Amino acid sequence: MSRRRAWGWVAALRAGSTTPWLEWPADGTAGEGEALGDELPGAQQLALLRRLNLYAAAAGRTVPAAIADRVLGAGVSGRGRSELALVGVDEPGPAGQLGASGQFGPRPVDPDALTDDELLRVASALVADDVAVAAAVPDPEPGLLERVRSVRRPWVRSFVVVGMPWRADAVRADLTARGHRPGGRRPTAYLLADDLETVLVQAWAARCFDQGGATWRGFVRANAGAGNLPPRADVARMARSAAYKYGVERVRVVLDDQLLAEELGVPRLGAPPRLGAHAVDLVRRVGEPLGLLVPSEDRPRLLRETLGERLEGLGGPPPSLPPRWDGWLRTQAERTRHDLAAARYPVLGDLDQLLPRPLGSEQSGPVVPVDAEVLALALGLLLDPVTTRGSAKPKEEA
Amino acid sequence: MSRRVLLHVGTPKTGTSYLQDVLYKNRGRLLKQDVSYPADRFDAHFLAALDLMRLRWGGLEAQAVGAWDKLSAEVRAHEGTSIISHEILASASRSQVARALASLGHRPGGDTSDGGTEVHLFLSVRDLVRQIPAEWQENVKHRARFGYGRFLELIHDPERAHRVGAWFWGVQEIPDILDRWGADLPPERVHLVTVPPSGGSPDLLWERFSAAFELGELDLKLTTQRANPSLGVPESALIRRINRVAARDLPPQHYRPLVRELLAHRTLSKRTKSARLGLPPDQYPWVNELTESWIAELSRRGYDVVGDLADLRGAPAPTGKWVDPDHPPERQVAAAAVDAIKALLLDNAEAHAENERLRRKLEVARRELVRARTPRLMRSMEWTVHKLEHSGKGRQALEVYRKARNRTPG
Repeated sequence: MSRRRAWGWVAALRAGSTTPWLEWPADGTAGEGEALGDELPGAQQLALLRRLNLYAAAAGRTVPAAIADRVLGAGVSGRGRSELALVGVDEPGPAGQLGASGQFGPRPVDPDALTDDELLRVASALVADDVAVAAAVPDPEPGLLERVRSVRRPWVRSFVVVGMPWRADAVRADLTARGHRPGGRRPTAYLLADDLETVLVQAWAARCFDQGGATWRGFVRANAGAGNLPPRADVARMARSAAYKYGVERVRVVLDDQLLAEELGVPRLGAPPRLGAHAVDLVRRVGEPLGLLVPSEDRPRLLRETLGERLEGLGGPPPSLPPRWDGWLRTQAERTRHDLAAARYPVLGDLDQLLPRPLGSEQSGPVVPVDAEVLALALGLLLDPVTTRGSAKPKEEA
Repeated sequence: MSRRVLLHVGTPKTGTSYLQDVLYKNRGRLLKQDVSYPADRFDAHFLAALDLMRLRWGGLEAQAVGAWDKLSAEVRAHEGTSIISHEILASASRSQVARALASLGHRPGGDTSDGGTEVHLFLSVRDLVRQIPAEWQENVKHRARFGYGRFLELIHDPERAHRVGAWFWGVQEIPDILDRWGADLPPERVHLVTVPPSGGSPDLLWERFSAAFELGELDLKLTTQRANPSLGVPESALIRRINRVAARDLPPQHYRPLVRELLAHRTLSKRTKSARLGLPPDQYPWVNELTESWIAELSRRGYDVVGDLADLRGAPAPTGKWVDPDHPPERQVAAAAVDAIKALLLDNAEAHAENERLRRKLEVARRELVRARTPRLMRSMEWTVHKLEHSGKGRQALEVYRKARNRTPG
């Protein structure tokens, strides 16, 4: 009987209900329904659909049945508990059927008691599916004007852009689109740098798009705890590498983008998508299941073209370092400044820009990704999937 | 469409590597006898399992894209018997199991009347008395930094909220694994292979595998060695300490060959006189109680058992002193550390020698490249100078020439 009740709740969720499982009618036939499949969906999927209904209702919308069915049929990505049974449902299946004894396996749960992290395991797998679908959509052919604009002008001086990978990629792409394609003989190497906290944040963002893996806290702890800077944030090392490759006399440290823009003869430099802490964390989570759907070399581009564009300006402020690492940050920043100054690289801007910025008075504490905020972004992507380029951009939840 | 699929889904630490090694190395012979073990690399089924379960595994998952679909297509294309084997499949969820069985041609209820595949499920199982310490040790060999006590706490959590507990029971809770994998199969097509107790004939487990998979009648070469790379208490403690200080700095592609293979498998596993890792005495009561409930349930279900369900009871608690890997004998850890340092030094020396050999080879290649790019006339001149410098008259002739050109050697 309780299975019919559970199926009744499933049907209601498909129709947009937001009633919690524990408040679902337990007596009579009001809350009962016919089985919609062989197995009840897992508690994680049901909880996610209820949260999606709440999210849609807050925006005055309803969840289309096709999307509801996708959520109910989704898997759970990554390590951890697999689909969990609903608490209060008698497990034994039809007489004589093996399995589903209910005596073994993880304990049944109340879906409302599941953590946001547990729901994100389902949501990120669904978003990854959408991103993988977008991979099959061919890139639009560049128009004549775009092709003409991107032809390298013969009078453009030889240069390359190195340094902070997250920003350098965007600057290179923008310059190429303007006909300032990096390259040429004996180029000047412009090394993009910034204050060390910003460099670290961008190193983490680049890593989330390229490889996924560590959380912001884990990323900081792994490096600060070991006393090192991660390779993507070690500006002094990047400068040495550029000096080795292009010649020390041809390396210039860039700490003022406008000065570089003037030197290259462009009105301004391109910038990477501005993603907040929660948005980057969502990209990190989606990248994990996506790694099993597309070749690893395609993953960063796909994530940039889908989530990078859709999450632009969303996800709160960038992450910041917990105060316990202030001393480490300052030491590393001063070491970097000293190394660059000692090597006498020409600088566009002021080397003091490398040092940590003083905390603003309005800053109440370190910014770190919060599961609830990450889930809210994921719900937006479930309601308006990234399967088509240029799809509507969801508004950030208050 | 394949007639039969023998699907071996676990559990870990039950001799699965040996079975897979035999099957992989004999896949050509097997195919001639109408049995397919479809694998173009030794870890093909592992990658397929990662793909099916969308599991990340230290970067290896990047090689797993589409691996399950490829494997299942090969199985469907074979007309005879196919074998699939990997122990991490034990943790698959119900939806993943449904996808896997459907992709192999399984029909609901195992119906074969209209061309459905006859899927036989195999689960090799070992007592928890040995599996619990073995799983912690496996965690340690995969970069884990938590102690044995913490591991026991995590697997004791009834919510299984931590990934360690969830994974442990996902691959070790036999009735639940069979609930997920065997719910849609007739019980006579579910085969349990029990690992015999310690101290028996070393061939007994293989004989059981051989009987279960009907390999006894086939012509196979059993030339591979049965590896037993288990570690003792001080050795496990040492690896854990190494993980605590170095695992974060060592990327997986270096950790695997250096720590797991060189230190754990090739060096520390040879120290067999140290105390063996075991279950703490206070854990026996709940383990025994759980085991009895499993035996009762499995007996009731009527599966085909190769071996004896009583094997799951494991050995009783030893009467001697139990050695805690969280507080190991320090002298023994130090001795193990010296062995580890020696192994690393030798390996490093070998790497240095190899570097030197490659450096010399590179230098020769560089010279040849320069030579190949040098014009023929220049090479002829160099050859002439070289020859002239090796004879008295030649040197005189060169001197005259250089005076005439107002140049000096050097």
